This record gives sequence, structure tokens and C-alpha cells, in this order.
Amino acid sequence: MNAFLPLFRTNYRDFVRDRTALFWTIAFPVLFIGIFGIVLGRGDDGASYEVGLVIEDQSPQAATLGEVLAGFEALALTQGQRDAEIASLADGERRAVVVIPQGFGASVAAGTPQPLQVHFDPSQQTTQQVVIPVLLRAFEVADRALTQTRPVVTADFRTLQSERLQVIDFIMPGLIAMSVMNGGVFGAIAMVSLRERRVLRRLSATPLPAWALVGADVAFRMVVVLLQTVLLVILAVLIGGVSVKVENLPALAGVTMLGGLAFVAIGFFLGAFAKTEQGFFPVAQVITFPMLFLSGIFFPLDTMPDWIRPLVSAMPLTYLGDAMRQLMVGGAPVHSMALNLGVLTAFLVVFFGLAVRLFKYE
Amino acid sequence: MSTPVIQVRDLRKAYGDLQAVAGVSFEVADGEVFGMLGPNGAGKTTTVEILEGLRIRDSGGVSVLGMDPATSGRDFKRLVGVQLQQVALYPRLRVHEVISLFGSFYEQQAETEELIALMGLEDRRNARIAELSGGQAQRLSVALAVVNMPRLVFLDEPSTGMDPQARRNLWDIIEGFKAKGMTVVLTTHYMEEAERLCDRVAVMDHGRVIALDSPSALVRENFAEDAIEFVSNDGLSEHDLGKLAAVTSAASQGSAHSVFSSDIPRTMGSLLDLAQARGAPLEGMRVRHATLEDVFLKLTGRTLRD
Repeated sequence: MNAFLPLFRTNYRDFVRDRTALFWTIAFPVLFIGIFGIVLGRGDDGASYEVGLVIEDQSPQAATLGEVLAGFEALALTQGQRDAEIASLADGERRAVVVIPQGFGASVAAGTPQPLQVHFDPSQQTTQQVVIPVLLRAFEVADRALTQTRPVVTADFRTLQSERLQVIDFIMPGLIAMSVMNGGVFGAIAMVSLRERRVLRRLSATPLPAWALVGADVAFRMVVVLLQTVLLVILAVLIGGVSVKVENLPALAGVTMLGGLAFVAIGFFLGAFAKTEQGFFPVAQVITFPMLFLSGIFFPLDTMPDWIRPLVSAMPLTYLGDAMRQLMVGGAPVHSMALNLGVLTAFLVVFFGLAVRLFKYE
Repeated sequence: MSTPVIQVRDLRKAYGDLQAVAGVSFEVADGEVFGMLGPNGAGKTTTVEILEGLRIRDSGGVSVLGMDPATSGRDFKRLVGVQLQQVALYPRLRVHEVISLFGSFYEQQAETEELIALMGLEDRRNARIAELSGGQAQRLSVALAVVNMPRLVFLDEPSTGMDPQARRNLWDIIEGFKAKGMTVVLTTHYMEEAERLCDRVAVMDHGRVIALDSPSALVRENFAEDAIEFVSNDGLSEHDLGKLAAVTSAASQGSAHSVFSSDIPRTMGSLLDLAQARGAPLEGMRVRHATLEDVFLKLTGRTLRD
């Protein structure tokens, strides 16, 4: 008499025999990841960025720092005079210029380190997102090379502390969060379609309890969203060369489920207002489309103007994307993990509650 | 006399200003095939869906299998079988998959393969729902109505969209239900279907039952005579025809005329005389028994397909 499994199997059959659904849930995100992976991913040679190095100090410490910087493949170093290098930066021939000022070695030895000077053009996104983090990483390495105890190499900037090294590492978790959102919200179309074709009404004439109907549907969506995420993470590693934090994968699966449930609830809520599949689609698009661009999936939140912040804060994808980025590649937190999980749970509870209240068989 | 399977007393249901069911009362006995005949919008479907527990009545008393369908919920739904109009089942599922799915909702379920055979769907067993013809899809929906082997089954216009051959096959199936002792409530707007299948028929119009009896009694009560039918494109009016010998009533719809007569040879003679005198042609002339269609036309002034 347990109808849960037969319903689950029905959802599975209905899904795998539906080419359109397969395309949107599997092929489309795979294409997306593939394109981003190929365009932005690390090739074998690795993209490298022109960085000028000006050494005005003749100490061994300055030489060590220079060697460390030269050891980073992502940096194509050119050593030169300060004025000439700054001029090259202005001409766009350098991404950044690092100046080791006179007296640096002595200051390190004395324990009162003197900051390096890093010149760059803040309007260039790649510099912000890639070169500066690489430099920071290099400075950390140099730190350890110069002394085991405390930081002696510091720089004038300390705002970017992310471990991320490339744009691809930033984009990939966002793309996966996007596909979780789409899988959840657009997954609700199956229920709208059943209502439109009066199958729900027919089911309401059987003793089938509503929880089994909804439960089997939600369970199936979760399996789809989870498999989708697994597939995309694998592709992100293989095609994009993203270095995934393996120890966080179970937590990533948990966040995928939580996010998936929250977006399924939102989809069910929207579905309660739609009489037909055709009517559901544009509504779901209007809800999901702005989130793609405003929740930090493609563009970092700190590049957005202040007036749009309240809108950004109201979007569930903001929190899912941030949580996935932190877990998957150790990205810089925008919000604390507790806040991310709390907001997603709140969306889940509120919209599932509304969806249950608004649910209609016809 | 056993207790009726269904008792309906002064049932009413309105949708806004439209009084869909306006005070309907009837009873259905155990093992009976009960028909509800009427044109679209007569209130048949609304009445049946209230009995199925799918709609809530405004007022009136309803007892089905000793329960109130509005409040008995799943206990009630376990016991009845339901076929609804215009359900487009999962288009990508196969016939046998849908039958098994619906069977899984019930403790007591018919054997899927037996049901497929009963409905004559053997060669469509593995076909997807989207590939079925209208008649096959309709037979599948009847199969789903009996998947729980119910004592009472509701069929709402089961033969819609079927060709005459498929319709006759369906009638055999429904007669099979009756032979097994099931009670069947059937709505239709095909009078031939009601005449063939139903023990009793409620004729409905504008939300009311305007006549209720066995098909033959309905005809007998309304027409003590047979009808002469013919087509004549000019010259003969209902008034003229009504004055022919032994004629009890006459009905004309355009050039198609029906003359009811208590003495066919006498009426025929005077009709031929009249036609000859007027020079009016008589085409496609035939004599037939009165039918439910005639009853409906007489009671409502409309035909069933209007």
C-alpha cells in the first residue's frame, strides 16, 4: 500500500523520458560549466600575469623575497627601475608593480618590518581577483622563508584575504549554486503540469495521502539536484582545474540539499499561482533571472553599488552561492556560514509553509 | 429490499450565480447501473463529483455506501472507483506502469495484466499514454476506476471520443461490471448508451431531474406510440401533420419531421394522401419506436446534443 516508491519511480520515468527536462537539468549546466571551464580554466601552461619588480634594497632578505615571487608561475616578473616600471603599469604592460623599498632588509632584521609598495590599477578586475591574491600568497610564503615566528613581510593592502587564485574558482561554485536554484524552482513545473492535466484531481479521488505525493516529488528533486551537483563538481575539477576542498564535500552535499529544498519550496509556492506550465515559466524566470546577476554568482558582491544591497540581501541565491564558495574552494566569506544556513532554512520553512497552505488539487 | 447504495436528497450546488444543481433527489440500489442523461451543463458532472467526494455540496443530504463523501475522506475513497472527464495522464508513462501506480494506492488491487486484458489493451500494454488513441485512453481511465475492485464505480461520460466500435466494446465491459455485482453510476449524453446499459435513468436538465425511471418505462410513459420519420423540404408544417389520422403528436426540426401515431397504417395512409395533394416529396421515410431522445425532446424542447 506504500505509494511512495511507485510515485518516486513514476517521477523518475517521467523525468528521464522527457528530453527537455533532461536538457535543462543536465546538458545546460554542463554546457555552462564546460564553456566557463575552457575560457577561464587553467591550461597546462597556466596563464601568467606581467608584474614589475623594483628592488631598491640590496639586503639578502630582499633577494629572498624576489626569489619567492619569481617562483610563482602565475607571475611573469620583470625587474627594473621604479620610474620605468610605473610607466609600464600606466601603459598597461604590467598588472602590478611591487617595490621593495630601501632599508627593507634592515627593518626585517630589526623586527619592525617596513611595508612593501604595490602599485596596481584597481579598475582592472583580473588584477583585483587574481594578481593581488597571488601576490598575497607569495608574501605569505616569503614570510615563512624569512622567519618562522611572526609576519615580517606586510603590504599596504589587507582587504583581500581570499585563498582563491583564479576567476574560475570564483565562478564554478556560483554556477553550481545556480543549477541548484534552477533544479529546485523549475522542478516544480512537474506538479503544475499534473494539475493542468487534471491528474492531481484524479489522484485526489484515490486514498493517496497528499504527503506521499509531495514527499515523493520533493525526494526525487533532491536526488536530481544532488546528482547534478556531483556531476558539476567533477566537471569543474576536470575541465576548469578548480582545486576542490575534498574534506568539505559532505558539507557541500548538505548545503546542496538545504538549498535545493529551499528552492523547491519557492518553486511550489510559485506553482500554486500558476494554472498552466506556460503560465509558470515566465513567473519562475522573473524570480530566478535577477538572482543570476545580483547574488554574486558571476560578479563579486563588493563590485555592486550600495543602493542594490538590500535587494541582494533578500535573495536566497546570495547565501547559497556564498556557502558553496566557502565550502568548495575556501572562498572569502561574504556572510558567516551560520547566517547562510540560517537564511536558507528560513526560506525553506516560510515558503514550504505558504506552499502547503496554497496547495490546490485543481 | 436492501439499503440503497446511494441516497441523495434535495442536493444543491451553485457556482456564483449559476445554480449547477438545483434540488436533486434519487436513490441507487445495490447492483444497479444508474444513468444520468442530459446535455452538457445539465448538472450531471457536478452531481457525480459531489457523490465522489471531490466537490462539497451547498446543501442537501448525501449518503454513499452509508458514508458522507464530503467528510469520510480516505476511508471512503478506498471503497469507490472513479473515472473523471478530461484527465491527461502522465504522457511519458506506459499503460501497465500507470495501472500499477494507481494500484499501489490501494490495499486491495486488481491484477494489472488481468485489467489490461479486460480492457482489451493487451497490444498497447507497453505503449506510452501519449501514443494512445482517444478510445484507448478512455478505456485506460475506466481500467483505473476499477483498479481497487470497488463495489461502486462512477463513470463520467466514459464513451466520449470513442468511435462506434470502441463504444460497443466499452458497453460490453460495463455489462461485465454489472454481472460481477458492481453498482455503476454513469453519466452520458448518448441516449443509445443509456438505453442499452442502464437499469434506470435520471434525465437531467438545468440542474434538475426531470424524469427518472427505466429507459423503457420512460419511453412508454411519454409515448404510447411509434414514430414515422421523414424528410420533406417544403409544404408540410407541424400543424398539418398533427391533424393526420391517429396522430398523437408531431415534431419538426427544419425539414426533418417525426409523427407519433397510435395506428401506423392509418396515419401512413393519410400522410401519403396529404403529401400527394401538396406535391411534397417524402424522403428517407421510416417507422421506428420512440426513444429516450424523443423523451428528452418532449420534456425539454431540446435535443441532447444542443
